[in-house]
Amino acid sequence: MHSRIEITNRREKKMYLIFGAAIILLWAVSTFITDFSVTELLVNSGGFWQFLAEDFLPPKLPKGNELINIAQSVATTIAMAVSATTVAGIFAFLVSLFGSEYISPFPAFAKAVRGLATFMRNIPALVWAFILFSSLGIGTGVGFSALLITSFAFMVRAFVETMDEVSKDCVESLLIVGATFPQRVINGILPSCINGFLSWFLYCFEVNIRASTIVGMVGGGGIGLVLFSYLKSFKYHTAFGIILIIAAIVIIVDLFTNKLRKEMYK
Amino acid sequence: MECLLKFKNVVKSYGSDSIALDNVSLEINEGEFVSVIGPSGSGKTTFLRSINKLIPVTKGEIYFNGENISDKKGKALRMCRRKIGMVFQNYNLVYRLSVIQNVLHGRLGYMSGLKGILGRYSEEDKKMAVDILGELGLQEYIYNRAADLSGGQKQRVGIARAIMQNPRLLLCDEPIASLDPSSAKVIMDRLYQMTKRRNIACIVNLHQVDVAKKYSTRIIGLSKGNIVFDGKPEELTDSMIEKIYGTSLDNLMLGGNEGA
Amino acid sequence: MISDELSAAMPKSIAVSELLKYDKKGKISIICKDKNSSLLYFFTGVVVCTVISFLFMDIDWIKLISRVPSIGDVFFKLMHFDFTKTDLIGRAFAETVSIALLSTIYSMILGLVFGMIAAENIFRIHILSVIVKSFFTFLRAVPTPVWVLLMLVCMGFGPSAGIAGLCVHTTAFFTKSFAQSFEDIPDETIEALEVTGADKITVFTNAVLPAALSQLIAWIGVRFEINFSECAILGMVGAGGIGFVISSNIQAYEYGAAGAAIICVFLFAFAIERLFVRIKGAIK
Repeated sequence: MHSRIEITNRREKKMYLIFGAAIILLWAVSTFITDFSVTELLVNSGGFWQFLAEDFLPPKLPKGNELINIAQSVATTIAMAVSATTVAGIFAFLVSLFGSEYISPFPAFAKAVRGLATFMRNIPALVWAFILFSSLGIGTGVGFSALLITSFAFMVRAFVETMDEVSKDCVESLLIVGATFPQRVINGILPSCINGFLSWFLYCFEVNIRASTIVGMVGGGGIGLVLFSYLKSFKYHTAFGIILIIAAIVIIVDLFTNKLRKEMYK
Repeated sequence: MECLLKFKNVVKSYGSDSIALDNVSLEINEGEFVSVIGPSGSGKTTFLRSINKLIPVTKGEIYFNGENISDKKGKALRMCRRKIGMVFQNYNLVYRLSVIQNVLHGRLGYMSGLKGILGRYSEEDKKMAVDILGELGLQEYIYNRAADLSGGQKQRVGIARAIMQNPRLLLCDEPIASLDPSSAKVIMDRLYQMTKRRNIACIVNLHQVDVAKKYSTRIIGLSKGNIVFDGKPEELTDSMIEKIYGTSLDNLMLGGNEGA
Repeated sequence: MISDELSAAMPKSIAVSELLKYDKKGKISIICKDKNSSLLYFFTGVVVCTVISFLFMDIDWIKLISRVPSIGDVFFKLMHFDFTKTDLIGRAFAETVSIALLSTIYSMILGLVFGMIAAENIFRIHILSVIVKSFFTFLRAVPTPVWVLLMLVCMGFGPSAGIAGLCVHTTAFFTKSFAQSFEDIPDETIEALEVTGADKITVFTNAVLPAALSQLIAWIGVRFEINFSECAILGMVGAGGIGFVISSNIQAYEYGAAGAAIICVFLFAFAIERLFVRIKGAIK
């Protein structure tokens, strides 16, 4: 079995070759710019592990009031993710109806709707957070708003794609019976796309759980802010304890959403 | 017989040099069963879809029931569309919903307000849907999810939905192209029988010349956006078929007498 | 003659009435027989959780909404791009892109190795793949900026900490998604080579990798997009790069320069999104 059978055509091969060459070139340039060296990292890694082992391990959690404070901030983080995802989901559904040329009653504006979503999505959540902090002040409300904007834009794109893929045919069949736009939405788009919508909704919730921790760090409140303050005050053992809590929350949420997906596809 | 559908110098072009319909004029009367044949790209689908304005035409007028449908918009267009049923090659059902819900969609054009939006159908409509499903031999599947049916059964649901509209005209866009021969025969038989019983004019796009000959009262041959044949099935000679498809009969798979 | 044939096959109408179901009000039911009611529970659950969340967060809505118009002001100020700091922005931007690139490339290599171990159908050592998978699940569960913060604490300020921190999360991501892609390959493809006596590595490079390649590229594209926006964020939690430029300028009320940096981030993110949409199209 040494004779190799050509399984890729020439055009594909050329594409992969260009892809590979581009990666090597980019690697070289980036290494030059950042002055990053793997060997140096590995040589110095002894100190790193020592630091990790001595300063972070074992993880510790404070007692009394501080623990209650941590529990409360965990709840705030989850609440931020839940509420932002739900509100964004509702708005995204309504807006995405106008973002698809096939479905929208005003096809001329579909591009504008998608463009707005693209603009909002391609600015990272944390940048939004900073823009909002400078106008709204800091606090949970602003963290909520920053998550709302990015998840809204993300879901608009995902929902429009789902609708274009799934419900083009059945929207056509409702169009020809003379159904109005709301009738088409409720009787055609919603039932045919609901699984896709929910799957994206759950994905967005997973992302938001992580993002709400991060937005918290820069002033959105919640567990991120608490972690940041412990790190700043060099209480690394407690910080590591909180990191474990964050990991636990994320894993539990992922398990939970996976279970929900299975339940709904039955 | 009364004229139901009238094309007057209809032109449809995509871009500047691709013409799908080239100055087409014709009349179709009540109760006719018309097959449209022609090679791929001859404008069959454009012809069919321009009738209910799924594809707006570039020039000319299309009259349905005496009304010019090509310049209608919004509510007036919906009022026209609900009188024209359509059966699709890919069935176009909402697969998550039950069979009867899909059939009842045919009534949406007649409903208004919140009832129509929420799909609260009247008992009469439901009974009518059940009767039609019975007529199509689907009574056992009323509460099945549309996704669970076979191709032929899905297409029968598609027909039921179209009949549910109480249409005067039924458009069928290659209704048997994705079906096996026996399901295809069932579909064509039911189409023929149900439209005849209700005096619904029917226009069917077909790839199978033998099927067209067997069922139609009239055949239209399209080639490059022009009508090159319009007549009774028995008038469709071999040389005519060669003209429509632009090639000799030896190069055509016309099918035998299956299901005859 | 056709109608004759059919009338014989006509269904009996007696059967129909027996098959019908009626709802509580005695009306004919039209919903599916195997209706999945979990959707209803799900929506109810979501609504309840959201209401609780809002009550818990206790946001001062009036204050928040009263300040909304000032978002417009900030945007207006941001729009007055100030390009006097171009070389600073340019350097920071190049650094950010480089961090994103390097972390993606190194993680790609690590991800291939660990993905190979984690995939159940290559080495077929169940316990090993479970261990690798659960370890990376843990790494993935901690958000990237947390890793970067840890690296900053351990390694000191600079792009190296950013790259190392991003690599942790990205490697975990690639391990999971690559393993998934490898496992999606039909067993026959692998068996066909195995029966010839080829060793595992040969099987991997000759059967598994080519079969999964287009999917791997799609994953790499997705992750590069994510890594870029993560990188743009990192500066805000204390690492360098464009994020630091944005946050420090906003805090110093230098909106023009911040706006110029933000527009750079946006344009680059937009460009790679378009690029990968096209690559995906080409692969299909």
